[in-house]
Amino acid sequence: MAELDFERRLERLFADAPELPDAQAFTQRIEQRLNRGWTARRWLLGASGMAGGVIGGSQLVMSNVFQQVESAEQSARVISQGLARVTPTSDMVSALSGGYGLWIAVGVAVLTMGFAVARVFEEL
Amino acid sequence: MPGARQSSFASLHDVELCSYAAAGERRAFGELVRRHGSSVRHLLRRMGAQAALSDDVAQDAFLAAFERIAEFRGEGTFAGWVKKIAARLYLRRLQREKRLSALAAEDGSIEEIDTGAGDADHRIDLDEALKGLSPAERLCVSMCYGAGLSHGEAADALNLPLGTVKSHVKRGLEKLRARLAPADRAVLEGRQGNG
Repeated sequence: MAELDFERRLERLFADAPELPDAQAFTQRIEQRLNRGWTARRWLLGASGMAGGVIGGSQLVMSNVFQQVESAEQSARVISQGLARVTPTSDMVSALSGGYGLWIAVGVAVLTMGFAVARVFEEL
Repeated sequence: MPGARQSSFASLHDVELCSYAAAGERRAFGELVRRHGSSVRHLLRRMGAQAALSDDVAQDAFLAAFERIAEFRGEGTFAGWVKKIAARLYLRRLQREKRLSALAAEDGSIEEIDTGAGDADHRIDLDEALKGLSPAERLCVSMCYGAGLSHGEAADALNLPLGTVKSHVKRGLEKLRARLAPADRAVLEGRQGNG
Protein backbone atom coordinates (compact mmCIF):
# COMPACT_ATOMS: atom_id res chain seq x y z
CA MET A 1 0.00 0.00 0.00
CA ALA A 2 2.82 2.36 0.99
CA GLU A 3 4.51 1.39 -2.22
CA LEU A 4 1.43 2.37 -4.24
CA ASP A 5 1.05 5.63 -2.33
CA PHE A 6 4.63 6.52 -3.08
CA GLU A 7 4.18 5.70 -6.76
CA ARG A 8 1.10 7.96 -6.93
CA ARG A 9 3.05 10.74 -5.24
CA LEU A 10 5.90 10.28 -7.64
CA GLU A 11 3.54 10.58 -10.61
CA ARG A 12 2.13 13.78 -9.14
CA LEU A 13 5.63 15.13 -8.60
CA PHE A 14 6.48 14.39 -12.21
CA ALA A 15 3.28 16.04 -13.38
CA ASP A 16 3.92 19.05 -11.18
CA ALA A 17 6.31 20.96 -13.42
CA PRO A 18 6.59 24.69 -12.82
CA GLU A 19 6.42 26.92 -15.88
CA LEU A 20 9.87 27.67 -17.23
CA PRO A 21 10.84 31.34 -17.57
CA ASP A 22 11.17 31.13 -21.34
CA ALA A 23 7.89 29.27 -21.86
CA GLN A 24 6.48 32.10 -23.99
CA ALA A 25 9.52 32.15 -26.26
CA PHE A 26 9.37 28.37 -26.58
CA THR A 27 5.72 28.55 -27.66
CA GLN A 28 6.49 31.27 -30.18
CA ARG A 29 9.31 29.23 -31.70
CA ILE A 30 6.94 26.32 -32.27
CA GLU A 31 4.22 28.57 -33.69
CA GLN A 32 6.77 30.08 -36.07
CA ARG A 33 7.88 26.64 -37.21
CA LEU A 34 4.25 25.60 -37.74
CA ASN A 35 3.52 28.74 -39.73
CA ARG A 36 6.69 28.35 -41.77
CA GLY A 37 5.75 24.77 -42.60
CA TRP A 38 2.25 25.84 -43.56
CA THR A 39 3.49 28.64 -45.84
CA ALA A 40 5.99 26.31 -47.48
CA ARG A 41 3.26 23.75 -48.07
CA ARG A 42 0.99 26.35 -49.64
CA TRP A 43 3.76 27.51 -51.96
CA LEU A 44 4.57 23.94 -52.88
CA LEU A 45 0.92 23.20 -53.65
CA GLY A 46 0.54 26.35 -55.69
CA ALA A 47 3.73 25.73 -57.63
CA SER A 48 2.81 22.11 -58.24
CA GLY A 49 -0.64 23.10 -59.44
CA MET A 50 0.77 25.68 -61.78
CA ALA A 51 3.43 23.32 -63.11
CA GLY A 52 0.83 20.61 -63.60
CA GLY A 53 -1.45 23.04 -65.39
CA VAL A 54 1.32 24.27 -67.66
CA ILE A 55 2.41 20.72 -68.47
CA GLY A 56 -1.17 19.63 -69.09
CA GLY A 57 -1.88 22.65 -71.24
CA SER A 58 1.29 22.27 -73.24
CA GLN A 59 0.57 18.58 -73.78
CA LEU A 60 -2.83 19.53 -75.15
CA VAL A 61 -1.39 22.18 -77.40
CA MET A 62 1.49 20.00 -78.59
CA SER A 63 -0.72 17.06 -79.44
CA ASN A 64 -2.78 17.13 -82.62
CA VAL A 65 -5.61 18.72 -80.73
CA PHE A 66 -5.57 21.64 -83.16
CA GLN A 67 -6.48 19.47 -86.09
CA GLN A 68 -9.04 17.62 -84.03
CA VAL A 69 -10.62 20.83 -82.86
CA GLU A 70 -10.56 22.23 -86.39
CA SER A 71 -12.38 19.16 -87.66
CA ALA A 72 -14.71 19.48 -84.69
CA GLU A 73 -15.26 23.08 -85.68
CA GLN A 74 -16.11 22.03 -89.19
CA SER A 75 -18.51 19.47 -87.80
CA ALA A 76 -19.97 22.12 -85.53
CA ARG A 77 -20.37 24.40 -88.52
CA VAL A 78 -22.16 21.69 -90.45
CA ILE A 79 -24.34 21.00 -87.41
CA SER A 80 -25.04 24.69 -86.92
CA GLN A 81 -25.98 25.03 -90.57
CA GLY A 82 -28.26 22.10 -90.12
CA LEU A 83 -29.68 23.55 -86.95
CA ALA A 84 -30.09 26.95 -88.62
CA ARG A 85 -32.54 25.36 -90.92
CA VAL A 86 -34.71 24.18 -88.06
CA THR A 87 -33.97 26.63 -85.20
CA PRO A 88 -32.62 30.17 -84.81
CA THR A 89 -28.79 30.32 -84.70
CA SER A 90 -27.39 29.76 -81.24
CA ASP A 91 -24.74 32.17 -79.94
CA MET A 92 -22.94 29.34 -78.22
CA VAL A 93 -22.52 27.28 -81.34
CA SER A 94 -21.31 30.26 -83.31
CA ALA A 95 -18.79 31.15 -80.58
CA LEU A 96 -17.48 27.62 -80.66
CA SER A 97 -17.32 27.61 -84.40
CA GLY A 98 -15.18 30.75 -84.30
CA GLY A 99 -11.50 30.47 -83.25
CA TYR A 100 -12.33 31.10 -79.56
CA GLY A 101 -13.50 27.58 -78.94
CA LEU A 102 -9.98 26.19 -78.98
CA TRP A 103 -8.64 28.69 -76.50
CA ILE A 104 -11.57 28.27 -74.15
CA ALA A 105 -11.00 24.53 -74.22
CA VAL A 106 -7.27 24.95 -73.53
CA GLY A 107 -7.97 27.36 -70.70
CA VAL A 108 -10.48 25.03 -69.09
CA ALA A 109 -8.07 22.14 -69.49
CA VAL A 110 -5.26 24.10 -67.82
CA LEU A 111 -7.51 25.07 -64.93
CA THR A 112 -8.80 21.55 -64.52
CA MET A 113 -5.34 20.04 -64.57
CA GLY A 114 -4.06 22.60 -62.08
CA PHE A 115 -6.98 21.96 -59.79
CA ALA A 116 -6.61 18.20 -60.04
CA VAL A 117 -2.88 18.24 -59.33
CA ALA A 118 -3.37 20.62 -56.40
CA ARG A 119 -6.04 18.32 -54.95
CA VAL A 120 -3.82 15.26 -55.32
CA PHE A 121 -0.96 16.99 -53.49
CA GLU A 122 -3.32 18.19 -50.80
CA GLU A 123 -4.56 14.64 -50.24
CA LEU A 124 -0.96 13.41 -50.03
CA MET B 1 -9.27 39.58 -34.28
CA PRO B 2 -6.47 37.10 -33.51
CA GLY B 3 -6.21 38.30 -29.92
CA ALA B 4 -9.88 37.66 -29.26
CA ARG B 5 -9.62 34.23 -30.88
CA GLN B 6 -6.56 33.44 -28.79
CA SER B 7 -8.33 34.33 -25.56
CA SER B 8 -11.29 32.17 -26.59
CA PHE B 9 -8.88 29.27 -27.08
CA ALA B 10 -7.57 29.82 -23.58
CA SER B 11 -10.95 28.89 -22.15
CA LEU B 12 -11.24 25.63 -24.07
CA HIS B 13 -10.45 22.13 -22.84
CA ASP B 14 -7.46 20.31 -24.28
CA VAL B 15 -9.67 17.90 -26.20
CA GLU B 16 -11.53 20.77 -27.86
CA LEU B 17 -8.24 22.43 -28.73
CA CYS B 18 -7.07 19.17 -30.27
CA SER B 19 -10.18 19.12 -32.47
CA TYR B 20 -9.42 22.64 -33.67
CA ALA B 21 -5.78 21.71 -34.23
CA ALA B 22 -6.84 18.64 -36.20
CA ALA B 23 -8.83 20.97 -38.44
CA GLY B 24 -5.61 22.90 -39.11
CA GLU B 25 -6.09 25.67 -36.54
CA ARG B 26 -2.49 26.34 -35.57
CA ARG B 27 -3.33 28.90 -32.87
CA ALA B 28 -5.31 26.25 -31.00
CA PHE B 29 -2.23 24.07 -31.06
CA GLY B 30 -0.19 27.04 -29.86
CA GLU B 31 -2.44 27.20 -26.81
CA LEU B 32 -1.71 23.53 -26.12
CA VAL B 33 2.01 24.21 -26.37
CA ARG B 34 1.59 27.16 -24.01
CA ARG B 35 -0.12 24.90 -21.47
CA HIS B 36 2.11 21.85 -21.65
CA GLY B 37 5.44 22.99 -23.09
CA SER B 38 7.14 23.37 -19.74
CA SER B 39 6.06 19.99 -18.42
CA VAL B 40 7.36 18.23 -21.53
CA ARG B 41 10.67 20.07 -21.27
CA HIS B 42 10.89 19.24 -17.57
CA LEU B 43 10.31 15.57 -18.31
CA LEU B 44 13.17 15.50 -20.83
CA ARG B 45 15.48 17.23 -18.38
CA ARG B 46 14.50 14.72 -15.73
CA MET B 47 15.34 11.94 -18.15
CA GLY B 48 18.83 13.40 -18.28
CA ALA B 49 18.78 15.72 -21.30
CA GLN B 50 20.68 18.99 -21.18
CA ALA B 51 18.51 22.11 -21.38
CA ALA B 52 19.25 22.87 -25.04
CA LEU B 53 18.72 19.28 -26.11
CA SER B 54 15.50 18.99 -24.12
CA ASP B 55 14.13 22.13 -25.79
CA ASP B 56 15.12 20.79 -29.19
CA VAL B 57 13.49 17.42 -28.62
CA ALA B 58 10.40 19.01 -27.06
CA GLN B 59 9.97 21.19 -30.15
CA ASP B 60 10.25 18.16 -32.41
CA ALA B 61 7.78 16.30 -30.21
CA PHE B 62 5.19 19.07 -30.44
CA LEU B 63 5.62 19.35 -34.21
CA ALA B 64 5.25 15.57 -34.52
CA ALA B 65 2.17 15.78 -32.31
CA PHE B 66 0.67 18.43 -34.60
CA GLU B 67 1.29 16.24 -37.63
CA ARG B 68 -0.35 13.27 -35.91
CA ILE B 69 -3.01 15.15 -33.95
CA ALA B 70 -5.79 13.21 -35.69
CA GLU B 71 -4.46 10.07 -33.99
CA PHE B 72 -5.12 11.55 -30.55
CA ARG B 73 -8.50 10.21 -29.50
CA GLY B 74 -8.65 11.84 -26.07
CA GLU B 75 -8.32 8.50 -24.31
CA GLY B 76 -5.53 9.80 -22.09
CA THR B 77 -4.43 13.36 -21.53
CA PHE B 78 -2.88 15.40 -24.31
CA ALA B 79 0.13 16.12 -22.09
CA GLY B 80 0.65 12.40 -21.47
CA TRP B 81 0.44 11.69 -25.18
CA VAL B 82 3.02 14.34 -26.08
CA LYS B 83 5.29 13.21 -23.25
CA LYS B 84 5.33 9.70 -24.66
CA ILE B 85 6.24 11.07 -28.09
CA ALA B 86 8.95 13.25 -26.54
CA ALA B 87 10.41 10.40 -24.48
CA ARG B 88 10.63 8.17 -27.54
CA LEU B 89 12.17 10.94 -29.63
CA TYR B 90 14.76 11.55 -26.94
CA LEU B 91 15.68 7.87 -26.85
CA ARG B 92 15.91 7.85 -30.63
CA ARG B 93 18.23 10.84 -30.44
CA LEU B 94 20.40 9.04 -27.89
CA GLN B 95 20.39 5.97 -30.09
CA ARG B 96 21.50 8.00 -33.07
CA GLU B 97 24.33 9.43 -31.06
CA LYS B 98 25.17 5.92 -29.87
CA ARG B 99 24.75 6.97 -26.26
CA LEU B 100 21.69 4.94 -25.40
CA SER B 101 23.34 1.55 -24.94
CA ALA B 102 26.09 3.09 -22.82
CA LEU B 103 23.54 4.86 -20.64
CA ALA B 104 21.29 1.86 -20.29
CA ALA B 105 24.20 -0.39 -19.40
CA GLU B 106 25.53 1.92 -16.72
CA ASP B 107 24.81 0.86 -13.24
CA GLY B 108 25.07 2.27 -9.77
CA SER B 109 24.56 5.74 -8.51
CA ILE B 110 26.40 8.55 -10.20
CA GLU B 111 26.11 10.80 -7.25
CA GLU B 112 25.77 9.60 -3.73
CA ILE B 113 24.46 12.38 -1.58
CA ASP B 114 23.82 12.32 2.09
CA THR B 115 20.09 12.63 1.87
CA GLY B 116 19.03 14.03 5.20
CA ALA B 117 15.70 12.69 4.09
CA GLY B 118 13.76 13.48 7.20
CA ASP B 119 14.96 17.04 7.46
CA ALA B 120 12.35 19.42 6.07
CA ASP B 121 14.83 22.29 6.20
CA HIS B 122 16.85 20.52 3.55
CA ARG B 123 14.01 19.65 1.25
CA ILE B 124 15.27 17.88 -1.82
CA ASP B 125 13.01 18.28 -4.81
CA LEU B 126 12.43 15.70 -7.49
CA ASP B 127 15.01 17.17 -9.85
CA GLU B 128 17.69 17.03 -7.19
CA ALA B 129 16.63 13.58 -6.07
CA LEU B 130 16.84 12.24 -9.63
CA LYS B 131 20.47 13.31 -9.79
CA GLY B 132 21.23 10.63 -7.23
CA LEU B 133 20.11 7.90 -9.61
CA SER B 134 22.23 6.20 -12.23
CA PRO B 135 21.43 7.27 -15.82
CA ALA B 136 19.64 4.00 -16.49
CA GLU B 137 17.55 4.24 -13.32
CA ARG B 138 16.76 7.83 -14.08
CA LEU B 139 15.65 7.02 -17.61
CA CYS B 140 13.52 4.09 -16.53
CA VAL B 141 11.86 5.89 -13.61
CA SER B 142 11.19 9.02 -15.68
CA MET B 143 9.76 7.04 -18.55
CA CYS B 144 7.45 5.01 -16.33
CA TYR B 145 6.34 7.70 -13.86
CA GLY B 146 6.86 10.84 -15.93
CA ALA B 147 5.93 9.76 -19.46
CA GLY B 148 3.45 7.14 -18.33
CA LEU B 149 4.97 4.23 -20.22
CA SER B 150 4.43 0.73 -18.92
CA HIS B 151 7.49 -1.32 -17.98
CA GLY B 152 7.03 -3.29 -21.19
CA GLU B 153 6.84 -0.16 -23.34
CA ALA B 154 9.92 1.26 -21.62
CA ALA B 155 11.78 -2.02 -22.22
CA ASP B 156 10.86 -1.90 -25.90
CA ALA B 157 11.86 1.72 -26.24
CA LEU B 158 15.16 1.18 -24.43
CA ASN B 159 15.78 -2.13 -26.16
CA LEU B 160 16.40 -3.77 -22.79
CA PRO B 161 14.98 -6.95 -21.26
CA LEU B 162 11.85 -6.35 -19.22
CA GLY B 163 13.50 -7.71 -16.08
CA THR B 164 16.35 -5.23 -16.39
CA VAL B 165 13.93 -2.32 -16.69
CA LYS B 166 11.98 -3.54 -13.68
CA SER B 167 15.09 -3.78 -11.57
CA HIS B 168 16.25 -0.29 -12.68
CA VAL B 169 12.85 1.07 -11.70
CA LYS B 170 12.87 -0.76 -8.38
CA ARG B 171 16.32 0.50 -7.43
CA GLY B 172 15.45 4.00 -8.61
CA LEU B 173 12.28 4.04 -6.54
CA GLU B 174 14.12 2.90 -3.45
CA LYS B 175 16.63 5.72 -3.81
CA LEU B 176 13.92 8.27 -4.49
CA ARG B 177 11.83 7.12 -1.57
CA ALA B 178 14.77 7.55 0.74
CA ARG B 179 15.36 11.06 -0.49
CA LEU B 180 11.86 12.36 -1.05
CA ALA B 181 9.63 10.73 1.46
CA PRO B 182 8.92 12.95 4.44
CA ALA B 183 9.88 16.37 3.20
CA ASP B 184 8.04 16.15 -0.04
CA ARG B 185 4.89 14.86 1.55
CA ALA B 186 4.76 18.08 3.55
CA VAL B 187 5.10 20.11 0.34
CA LEU B 188 2.37 18.14 -1.40
CA GLU B 189 0.02 18.45 1.53
CA GLY B 190 0.71 22.17 1.66
CA ARG B 191 -0.17 22.47 -2.06
CA GLN B 192 -3.35 20.45 -1.65
CA GLY B 193 -4.30 22.58 1.34
CA ASN B 194 -3.78 25.75 -0.69
CA GLY B 195 -5.45 24.43 -3.81
